[in-house]
Amino acid sequence: MAISAATKAATDALAVNRAPVSVGAQEVHRWMQSFTWDFEKNRTKYSTKYKMANDTKEQFKLIAKEYARMESVKDERQFGSLQDVLTRVDAANRVHPKWNESMKVISNFLEVGEYNAIAGTGMLWDSATAPEQKNGYLGQVLDEIRHTNQCGYVNYYFAKQGQDAAGHNDARRTRAIGPLWKGMKRVFSDGFISGDAVECSINLQLVGEACFTNPLIVAVTEWACANGDEMTPTVFLSIETDELRHMANGYQTVVSIANDAAASKYLNTDLNNAFWTQQKYFTPVLGMMFEYGSHFKVEPWVKTWNRWVYEDWGGIWIGRLGKYGVQSPASLRDAKKDAYWAHHDLFLLAYALWPTGFFRLSLPTAQEAEWYEANYPGWYDMYGKVYDEWRARGCEDPNSGFLPLQWFIENNHPIYIDRVSQVPFCPSYCKGASTLRVLEFNGKKHSFSDQWGERMWLSEPERYECQNIFEQYEGRELSEVIAEGHGLRSDGKTLISQPHTNKDGKLWTLDDIKKINCVFSDPLKAL
Amino acid sequence: MSIEVSGGRRGLTDPVLAAEIMAAIPDQPLETQRKMNYFMTPRGKRINEYEVLCCYSQPTPDWIPGGLDWGDWTQKFHGGRPSWSNESTEMRSSDWLKHRDPAFRWHALYVKDKAEEWRYTDRFLKAYSADGHVRSMDPVWRDEVLGDYLGAFGFSEYGLFNSHSSVVRDCLGDTLRMSSAMIGLDKVDNAQMIQMERTFLAKLVPGFPEATDIPKNEWTKGVIFKGSREVVQQIWQETYDWNEILFSGHMIYDPLFGQFVRREFFSRLSSYYGDTLTPFFINQMQLYFSQTKGITTDMFHTCLAADEQFGAYNIRLMHTWADKWLPRTITALKDFMGIFAKIPEIKGVSDKPAIEAALNRVFDDWKHDFADPIGYKADTAALVKTVLSGLK
Repeated sequence: MAISAATKAATDALAVNRAPVSVGAQEVHRWMQSFTWDFEKNRTKYSTKYKMANDTKEQFKLIAKEYARMESVKDERQFGSLQDVLTRVDAANRVHPKWNESMKVISNFLEVGEYNAIAGTGMLWDSATAPEQKNGYLGQVLDEIRHTNQCGYVNYYFAKQGQDAAGHNDARRTRAIGPLWKGMKRVFSDGFISGDAVECSINLQLVGEACFTNPLIVAVTEWACANGDEMTPTVFLSIETDELRHMANGYQTVVSIANDAAASKYLNTDLNNAFWTQQKYFTPVLGMMFEYGSHFKVEPWVKTWNRWVYEDWGGIWIGRLGKYGVQSPASLRDAKKDAYWAHHDLFLLAYALWPTGFFRLSLPTAQEAEWYEANYPGWYDMYGKVYDEWRARGCEDPNSGFLPLQWFIENNHPIYIDRVSQVPFCPSYCKGASTLRVLEFNGKKHSFSDQWGERMWLSEPERYECQNIFEQYEGRELSEVIAEGHGLRSDGKTLISQPHTNKDGKLWTLDDIKKINCVFSDPLKAL
Repeated sequence: MSIEVSGGRRGLTDPVLAAEIMAAIPDQPLETQRKMNYFMTPRGKRINEYEVLCCYSQPTPDWIPGGLDWGDWTQKFHGGRPSWSNESTEMRSSDWLKHRDPAFRWHALYVKDKAEEWRYTDRFLKAYSADGHVRSMDPVWRDEVLGDYLGAFGFSEYGLFNSHSSVVRDCLGDTLRMSSAMIGLDKVDNAQMIQMERTFLAKLVPGFPEATDIPKNEWTKGVIFKGSREVVQQIWQETYDWNEILFSGHMIYDPLFGQFVRREFFSRLSSYYGDTLTPFFINQMQLYFSQTKGITTDMFHTCLAADEQFGAYNIRLMHTWADKWLPRTITALKDFMGIFAKIPEIKGVSDKPAIEAALNRVFDDWKHDFADPIGYKADTAALVKTVLSGLK
């Protein structure tokens, strides 16, 4: 073949060009937008009512190898700290027992969110049409694998080196027994992967990550440090360095649909639903884990919530999206009310159902009761006196034969599960805003605790058919449920969960539970 | 003391806080079983770190085999479709969580390898350019083959990369999901490395076009990649079954078309044209191919074909899928034969006997590694003959 004049000139020039050069990541990335091509059946497999723009850019502009370099550097620092200095100072055995228990839940439940976000961002990678936008979501897919592994590593570390491995060592198997699991699946699992792809992005990136990862992954590190836990900040703050890119992905999702007519019709409704979905669980659960799952307190949860959720997210972050027509959710005001009492209401129920957990819970000490009353005036009259009564009846002692759940039955305070959020509530004994609403559909009763969830269900009841723990366990005796759900320690008889963290306190066994003969019933059947 | 602490006081190092914490800690650990995931069956003798960190992170209920949860999904798609379901694939398994990456790579190990490859790539490119290596490269090979056709092949890699998005969304196991994301990232890495080589050449060779428009035109309108473009589009966007996507891409198309193009065309021929640059990148792609082969043969052979309950059915289905995707891949290879008319012939290297020998190597490897383990019968000699009929 003949060589063109241009090719010959180029070849001749090589004789004088021997400078050492390489290619930077940005020099490759700038061509990425042209990596795709049009063809007839090029469309997403996951429908969305929005149209994502073809020319959407991403902000962080990584290529595969540069992504790996960046993450590898972070891993070296993080695992170096964990495996070297923290192990040498026996750090896992210098954590307050109450916090050791909280990390069984926090790390494992965050892992579920991270894991499902792999699938959620896989769906977004499929849905986006712009290669740069796909690339941003792809980076997040890999990040979420990282975070899944990191969260697992926290439980792995505590199990291997800490004071009570039970629950850390089998959280993935035992977590499904108790009342917190299904609600967690709604926000951290199904909410990220099941629905309109953009709606899932709003749940995951715009609300889950931009709003609640701040308290969940950042604020939690202050509580961990105060209670002697340096492992969690080491891992979680490394996770958070990736979350910035995820928040940017959420921002770009909104940018990509901003010019679509559907956005003006649906975006704020989807955002409101996503916010309520996420806050309905996280507001009470995070507050409960922080305040009731710690010995040393950093600040009242309501202050943390107000700073991260109300001001930072509801004001600043959503404010930045205002130019695209995004408004602060209408439900934000109701959520703010929940931030004050909902976690206290939830702990009352969680403690009452303690045998179904995979962690140990503790009643507030006198010192803590004083702190609660100082920060939440009226706390003692509602909750403190109940805990005093339970303690007096021997709820911590396996010989007492008393489970706090009995108190609710004796006092005719039925516990319901909200069908949409799967969060338990007791309408007749709460200070939060929960009110009982019962609707019947296809011969089945459904309970709800608020108007926002009820509206979601009324619009699409087929999306929220999941049975709750009382329906699932109805007629079954408690010890049977615990044994079947693997809620026992390695001796085969002692419960993983316990109603105290006293170092000298007796531990409950399956036989202690069996003697009480507690049989589950479905409160909706009584209506 | 007050239990509210402020000013960043740390329980590990603050003597007052530490004393109170230590007083509350039990004298002896409360549990003797310290191995996380101790309940699981490991692939090897012991549960390894990969299995600890990855296995059973998938929160599916027990009606999806392998799941440990119970009940229904708490939120479904509009209309009531479940979050994950057995119906997302025609394959059947008694345990969707059984797959293992043979290299046991969790995220940290995966990115560590790739980060090393990136650093080495940077050092290599600097040394290559400082050495003036590019002077030895045949200019036609450089400007036409690498500029146009290697660039066009990058779209095949990019399309295959995109086929993994719905797999990552829909598949039913944790290790499956992580492996699928990693082999997807390797594919986009291949596409990016091809562009990286073209950008590098543009820096060294005045006038060498690094823009993607010419290769894209070749990919979308040319005849050499017509068949492969159609297969890639079908895998990426017309196939909904996540197992079929992986099977068609990694058990049929890439081991045949991808292997021939990468190993037997670009890598083998490049040295004859004075090109020592392309093999550097192709060898990284071949490493990824090898790792992917380990992953997908574990998925399809070790897990699905050997499934005690569903193995026979799965093998029949794999045969059906092979019957569907093999002819398409043969057409892709046949179209690709047109490329040999674009390069100067070198006897014993790019003439018909050499091409036939190269095709035989690829088809023999495929038969040995992919077809034989599931008892799939293919007349490779006839297939090679069909492909060769595409030579101009």
